[in-house]
Amino acid sequence: MRKILFPILSILVVASLVLTACAPAAAPGGGEAAQPATEGEASGETYASVVEAGELVPPIVAQPCEGDACFCKDKTVTVIVNTAGEKGPISGPFYEVRDEFQAATGATLEIVEVPFAEHFPKLMTDMTTGTGQYDTSIAGAWWLGDLVGGDYILPLDDYYNDTTGKFPKWDIEDVQQGPRDLLTYDGKLYMVANDHDGQVMYYRRDLLEDPAHQAAFKEKYGYDLKVPDTWQEFRDVAEYFDGKDLNGDGTPDDGLTMHLKVGGQGMFHFMSFAAPFVIGPDNPKLFWFDPETMTPLMDSPGHQRAMETLIDLVQFGPEAMMGWSLGESWDHFLRGQAALTFTWGDLGALAQQEGSAVKGKTGAAPMPGTTEYYDVVAGEWKQVDGVNKVGNTTGGSWAGVISKFSDAPECTYFLLALMATPEKSEVYAYRGWDGVDPGRFSHYLEPNGTNTIDGYLAAGWDAADAESYTNAYFENFGAKMQFPYLRIPGTFEYWTALDIHLSEAATAQKTPAEALQATVEDFEAITDRLGRDVQREIYVKSLGLGE
Amino acid sequence: MAATDSTKPQARRSDQTKFWFLGPAVVWILVFTIFPLLYALYTSFFSFRFGKINQFVGLANFGRLFTDANLHNGLRVTLTFVIITVTIQMLLGFGLALLLNREMRGKNILRAIMILPLFATPVAMGYLGITLFYEINGPINELIRAFGGSDIPWLSNPFWAQVAIILIDIWQWTPFVFLVSLAALQGLPADLFEAAEVDGASGWQSFRRITLPLMAPVLWLILLLRLVEAFKVFDIPTSLTLGGPGRATEVYSLFTYRTALRFFDHGYAAAQGFLLLLIVSLIVGLLFGRIRSIYQEERN
Repeated sequence: MRKILFPILSILVVASLVLTACAPAAAPGGGEAAQPATEGEASGETYASVVEAGELVPPIVAQPCEGDACFCKDKTVTVIVNTAGEKGPISGPFYEVRDEFQAATGATLEIVEVPFAEHFPKLMTDMTTGTGQYDTSIAGAWWLGDLVGGDYILPLDDYYNDTTGKFPKWDIEDVQQGPRDLLTYDGKLYMVANDHDGQVMYYRRDLLEDPAHQAAFKEKYGYDLKVPDTWQEFRDVAEYFDGKDLNGDGTPDDGLTMHLKVGGQGMFHFMSFAAPFVIGPDNPKLFWFDPETMTPLMDSPGHQRAMETLIDLVQFGPEAMMGWSLGESWDHFLRGQAALTFTWGDLGALAQQEGSAVKGKTGAAPMPGTTEYYDVVAGEWKQVDGVNKVGNTTGGSWAGVISKFSDAPECTYFLLALMATPEKSEVYAYRGWDGVDPGRFSHYLEPNGTNTIDGYLAAGWDAADAESYTNAYFENFGAKMQFPYLRIPGTFEYWTALDIHLSEAATAQKTPAEALQATVEDFEAITDRLGRDVQREIYVKSLGLGE
Repeated sequence: MAATDSTKPQARRSDQTKFWFLGPAVVWILVFTIFPLLYALYTSFFSFRFGKINQFVGLANFGRLFTDANLHNGLRVTLTFVIITVTIQMLLGFGLALLLNREMRGKNILRAIMILPLFATPVAMGYLGITLFYEINGPINELIRAFGGSDIPWLSNPFWAQVAIILIDIWQWTPFVFLVSLAALQGLPADLFEAAEVDGASGWQSFRRITLPLMAPVLWLILLLRLVEAFKVFDIPTSLTLGGPGRATEVYSLFTYRTALRFFDHGYAAAQGFLLLLIVSLIVGLLFGRIRSIYQEERN
């Protein structure tokens, strides 16, 4: 008996240790395997797994050079970019443009892909040691506080204003005011326009227009089912659809989806969500710190109500989203498993790609607002006429900066300018997989911008989706009040603290008030360490407040 | 006299030769151990700004070790992780070694399969864990459901996230304990067990009185190696949970990594490194003492 028992027991134990490694990938929603996201994918590197990239490519803009016109002959331009591959967000377009760039300048383009988590550290190490290994980084806009503060990158005004025809032309005036402000720092141009990040609300248009749902919603809530205009309405719609079958697969789905994993960019959700609770007509700029003392404002009653409201919404999404990065959240929406979300422009374009279950059903609108906000200056709640809505540029807005240690800055600028040309930028905006989101007038439909529906239709878009999407971004970036983007040294550290404490609140480890109090304590420690006076000076400057 | 004269140059050559053999090791230690250690000590006395040394702060970075609640959380998470994983790995690994240290069909294949997880990269195991522990229709939750259970929030719940990283670490490192234990078990003298059997000792008595005492030095050594490694755990929580939800799985090394390479607070990160060095050195010292005393008892 023992002779038989031991082998059987051994096999069972070994099988439990080994065979699970051979298990198939998870299949959320049934059918397709998940592509779970990681920190490496944070801020622009993550991509949805349920859709195909497609074949749409941008046109050739730069003509091949000959002889002396090849002004970058024998030079190498090295770009460091978040890992995503040849068909991945932000990195993908560099592979597309490589041959064209090399033929037009004589230079060699080297693309160095690094995980998001390693990008900033590698870049900073390269710059602090003066190595100059990387000519350009496709950087997050929040890095400028450190990069400009440390005097590590070049101002690009001279290249941009060059009239000799040496560089491809792009028009900064074409970029809408919100994202345009992120390209400059202290009055100088440091980034070449590329990606334009900002969060808008996405909703299932087919559900909101369904007469049966409209009747049932009105019966329950006493007003018409419509695109949410306030966060209270957003909550009602999320609550109504939560638990209903939204994609016809016979299983209950969710009212909303978010990504709240630590390192999964949940803090951006909080920022764009909380903006109308704090920012308003009498307080258009103060969200993060008191500019007099650099005391954090994060525990104000406005922030607290925002956090409480956001945490209340969590119940209408899948519990798993507490461990999701944005790619997983996007997949959830693209499979038709959530009625609402709020996120970047990628999602609207991804919804048009093959594999999406929500093409022709996806509406977009600016982020909902509030009917009152807490004015941190006056120290009181203030009512507004109508709805208090605040535009945002939250996210990475990944764009090229040129290292001060580059030995080929002109060639590098040529590359970045080539990719910023309207012909290429337009195609980037049509596609979802490349991670380059819209934010220019040339991306918007007439009369808001200069584009036409034909371009979007040719790129495979549903007409109603395209109209709703481009209008949402036009309104978001053009909003009179914009969420104040933080661009001071240590921004990433401040945001990491917020991200962690948001996660603690979302998973009930802390109450919203405790989480914000902990955020304030961390902010204070960071400010003290980096130097309160210096930080305050830069913060004031970054807000354009003056002394 | 002549003989003495001829041996002197030979002895000198012999002396020189040993330096050639020792040289690379000495250079290696100087360059890759002593210099980084001294440089880390140097940086621990400074604050940093924009990734560069800013100003001398004396022992302030070491003082922060006592007041930083986030660091204390990292220590607590790591200690919990170490105690649970190493205990289970030791029991499971040694138990499996005992199980497979006997004649049975397919023994060699089972042993080979058993050590496979050991050869996987920990970071890959972490990423694999994201798939395995995926909460909506992931394979583990599917399996649990197949047996009538309900979904476990592996990665979105602070408690279960800790369980997930512990399970993966156990999966990866139990084979190490198994492998070394099995090798040691096979080296035990068979005549002792035969004599015990002749004397009428039961299986338990043989295990208690012969196997365990003879295995003790090896088991202590395995424990030492596992403790040191477990204290340095980084890859699995970093790739699986990034320290979340909140800071529920933010182990000490991940906290130090963030301090150094995400926030560029190199001085404080160096101080954290020295604290970990101190803790690990204490453990190594204690366990070495224990191993030495076992050998001395055996010699006496």
